[in-house]
This record gives sequence, structure tokens and C-alpha cells, in this order.
Amino acid sequence: MNWRGGPLRGQRDWLKTGASLQALLLVVTGVALLVLPNVADNYVIYIGARLFVYILVALGLNLLTGYAGQVSLGHAAFFAIGAYTAAVLAESLHWPFVICVIVSAFFTAIVGYLLGLPCLRLSGLYLAMATLGFTLIVQEMLLQLSVITHGSEGMLVPTASILGFTFDSDYRKYYLLFGVTIVMLILTRNLVRGRTGRAFLAIRENERAAEAMGVNLAQYKTIAFAISALYTGLAGALSAFLVGFLDPQEFSFFLSIQFITIIILGGLASLLGSVLGAGFLIILPELLAGLDVWQALVYGVIMVLTILFMPFGLSGAIRRYAYRWLGIGVEPIIPRRLGH
Amino acid sequence: MIEILASQVVSGLATGCVYALVALGFVLIYKATDVVNFAQGEFVMASGFISYTLLIRYGLPYWLVFCLTILLSGVMGVVLERVVVRPIMSAPIFSIVIATIGASTVMRSAAGIIYGYDVLPLPTIFSKEPIQLGILNFTPMDVGVIGCSIVIMLALYLFFKWTKTGMAMRATAQSQTAAQLMGVSVKQIFSLTWAISAGIGGIAGVLIAPIIYLDPNLGTIGVKAFAGAILGGFGSIPGAIIGGMLLGVLENLSGYFFNAGIKQVSTYILLILVLIIRPSGLFGAVAMKKV
Repeated sequence: MNWRGGPLRGQRDWLKTGASLQALLLVVTGVALLVLPNVADNYVIYIGARLFVYILVALGLNLLTGYAGQVSLGHAAFFAIGAYTAAVLAESLHWPFVICVIVSAFFTAIVGYLLGLPCLRLSGLYLAMATLGFTLIVQEMLLQLSVITHGSEGMLVPTASILGFTFDSDYRKYYLLFGVTIVMLILTRNLVRGRTGRAFLAIRENERAAEAMGVNLAQYKTIAFAISALYTGLAGALSAFLVGFLDPQEFSFFLSIQFITIIILGGLASLLGSVLGAGFLIILPELLAGLDVWQALVYGVIMVLTILFMPFGLSGAIRRYAYRWLGIGVEPIIPRRLGH
Repeated sequence: MIEILASQVVSGLATGCVYALVALGFVLIYKATDVVNFAQGEFVMASGFISYTLLIRYGLPYWLVFCLTILLSGVMGVVLERVVVRPIMSAPIFSIVIATIGASTVMRSAAGIIYGYDVLPLPTIFSKEPIQLGILNFTPMDVGVIGCSIVIMLALYLFFKWTKTGMAMRATAQSQTAAQLMGVSVKQIFSLTWAISAGIGGIAGVLIAPIIYLDPNLGTIGVKAFAGAILGGFGSIPGAIIGGMLLGVLENLSGYFFNAGIKQVSTYILLILVLIIRPSGLFGAVAMKKV
């Protein structure tokens, strides 16, 4: 542990201050997001709602990759499965909105569990490739199973409603997604602090040691896959109702790479990081929209610069400078060479 | 039937050789520097455009274009390593990967800005007229691509086996500290590795662009090459070559039996099946971690 001078403080103490900084930031962001729809125009509200969808995915992916150390490029597939399940249930079977979303989330979790089983023996790059293959296979299935998914034509999704209250404007959808995101954030916080979260971290740090300490590797790895898929499926289902239309081209491996970029730029194994990373990836392209053809180029340059100056992600940088300049928390210790 | 299959294998082998070259680029960088370079496919794309510019706009002879493209691609690799990768060598590997993904975004969109997103025709010296030889039906281009790739691989093998620099590179791959203690400049080796990898990617670009297409999305060939390297066992040079070739042949064969959509994913289904049985690929070493 690197103390870099300064008075030695009790362990409880720095845990508190470090956590309170994070909590403060989350609360400030939360309040800002709560009042946003009342001061912004429709497009900004829509982008805000999309931001929540990405935060949900980032939370799920961070549980699997950041906490449990299992790299996944399969989350575009989970996202697609959640979205298409919700769309099919709502459009073809006319199920109510809430049931559609819940069933899609749990169905995706089952798929995640089943994908986790053959992936038990894989790690690092092999796992990344296998899950990437899963993304490509699922995207192709969306096109091939046109009886259910309407193939390349895409799918229309009906308007969401709960007990007669319809979510027909972006304003209403925004608050729906905001509520779900807050609930999931709190759930995730409890999850990572509990037994499961500790087991995930133990697996990430060293599988053999975790096993020796009594962590059932197979069980916890598949659980990590299932929970992660649940978040992503939930996000996919909500995104289907938010956008109102599903285009199979969107669920390509680029989306998977975008998801993994979010959690790495934001910060691995950090809830704040999931939020900041999603914000970075959703808001930055909108800010650069005026640049026309130069948009992607500038975006890429900013991405590289961000990593160059903040190799531990946005949340890592915040924690580091909060410690160095303000003396809050501790110098973050992040494992090197994760994923090897 | 057998004739069609045989010619499918030959043309698959041609694409597979190009996959193998790109996969080789992945593995060389990974072995020497522990970095996975996701911009590897972008070297292929960029060198396709470089050779297009030199050939069409400046009208240089083909052999000169070939050499210049490899050289320029190598320079690109060194620049990428110096500017993007070296400053964060001590960061987590995930961050380095994301940095290379960012670099690939930059390269792809730069190509889009300069050349647009239409497919461009890249000329080649090999004829595309099919030749019948016994039961084999192939084009001189297939043979040219396979021949070129094998020559390159052989040259690399000799380089690593017999030259002093090649030996220094193998030493660095085994242990950076030990190599440094023996007087090897590890930093120079890193630059050289990136130059060679990008150079091979450049050759792959000149070879494959006339066969498939030349547009800014040509870099996605990197995904297939990566799959090939994984299939062979990431970190194994023979694995990358055989994995890449196998992938090309399988992809072409499944294109004969299934429609184009299934052709694209059949190789990934097979790859996942192989990984379930052999979690480290066909030739990969099983990594053991100390507790």
C-alpha cells in the first residue's frame, strides 16, 4: 500500500471519506439528472434516457468484467436478446409492459447462465473471443429467424404503459428509466458489498486462491454471467420501448466494444465509473455532432487522450486527484495487468 | 463435387493465408510486449489505401508500391507504439487495448474523410482468370497470395531463427528483464516488433484488398484474424498461421454449403466448439497461475 506521506489514518476513517466522496458525486449527479428534463429540450431528454440504458448495461458488464474479472464482448447479444424478447412479447403476444420487461430480463439471465457454462474453462482473450463469437452468432440469428424477428426489416415496439398510464413522451420515459437506474444502482451497491461481490473480487484476483477459500468457482462465475445478462437484458428491453423500433444492424460487435469501452474509460470495478463512462460515451458524440465528418476522428483522439492521461479510467483519476490534492480517501490501488 | 470442393479449399487457403499474416501480427506484438493490438486490422486497411494512392495517383510501378507500402505501414506501427502504447505500458492491459481501439477509430475515420466510403478497386499483378489443372480450378491470384504469404512466413522464420536481432526479439519475448540484462535494448525491440507486425499487416492489405474490397471498413478483417489466432492458440506463432489458414478454408467451404449469412458465423460456432474442448486453442499453452 502506498501512503505517499501524510498522516496515517485509521482504516475505518479512509473507507468513510473515500466512500462519502463517491456518494457525494453520485448524489450531485442524481439531483442534476432529476431536474434536467424540466429545463432541457426534447432531444436532450431523449439522450438522457439513452444514457440511463447505457448505465444499466455498464453496471451489468462491470459486475462481470470489473468485479469478477471475466471479459465479455457478448453484451451486445444480451442487449439484443432483451430488446427482441420484449418486442416480441409486447407486439405479437400483447403482454403488459411491466411483465414484458421482467420476463425479458430473466430470459436474458437464463441465456447468460447458459453461455456462462461453456465459458467456465475460458479466460482472458479466449473468453473475449468466444463471447465475441456469441455476439456475431446472435446478430445473424436475428436476421435468419425472420418469422419471429422480421429479419432485416426490423421490429416496431408498441408504447409502454403501466395501469393505463402511457409512457408516450420522452419526458415520461426519461423518469421511468431514471427510476429503474436508481433502483438498480442501489441493488448493485448492495450486491458488490455482500458475499457475492466479495466472491467475484476473489475470483478476479486469483481463481486458485478463491477456490481454496471456499468460493465455488463454477457457481459464482455462472452467477456473474447470469446477473450481468439480467442487467443487460433489462436495459435492452427498456431501450426497445424507449426507441420504439429495433434494427438488427445496431446489435453488432461494435456495440459490444462500445460497452467494454464504457467500463474501462469509466473505471473497472467502480459504480461511479459505470455512470461516468456511460456519460462519456453517450454525451461526447452529441457534443461533437457539429463536427460532421470529423466527429469520429476527434472522438477517437479524445478517447486515446483520456486513456493516456487516465489509465485507470475516469473514476480512478477522480479518486487519485481527490487524494493528492484534497487528501480525501486513499491513493487507489488497482491491480496491474488485469485480464491476463 | 470433389472438384468444386478442391477449388473452394484453394481459394479459402488464399484468404486464410492473409488471415494468418494478420494473426501473425497480433501474436508477434503480444509475445514481445504483452499487448493486444486491436488496431492490427487497421494496418491492413491503411496499407490498402496507401498502395491505391501510390499506384493510381502517382502511377508508380507495382513492385515499388509493394515495398513502399510495407515500409510506410511499418512506420505507422512504430508511430502508434511510440505515441499511444508506450506512454501507458505500465497501465492495466485493458486500458492499452482500449487505447488501440481508439487509435483504430481514428485511422478508420481518417481513411473515410480522405477516400470516402465507396468501394475502390485496387489493381493487382496477378490475373483473376481461372486456370484448370487436373481437378483443381484456381486463379493465379490465389496462388500468388498463397506464395507471397509463404515466402513472408519463411523469411520471418529465418529472421527469428538465425539473425542476432531475431534472437534478441525471442529473448525479449521470454523475459524482458533477462533480455535487458543481456544488453538487449528492450525499447528498440518493442519498436521493431511493432514495425514488423504493421509491415506484415501492410503486405496482407496489398494482397487481400484486390480480392475482397477496399473501403475504410476493411479493418474488420482484424476480427477474423484474431479469431484465427485464438483458434490456433494465442501466443503461438505456428498456431496463428495454421489457425488463420484453417479459418479461411472453413469459411469458404461453409459458404459452399450454406447461405452467405451462415457462412459468416459458422466459423465462430466452430471456434466456440473448439474452445470448449481445448480452452487454449489448438496449440496454445495452458497458463498456470501461482497462488
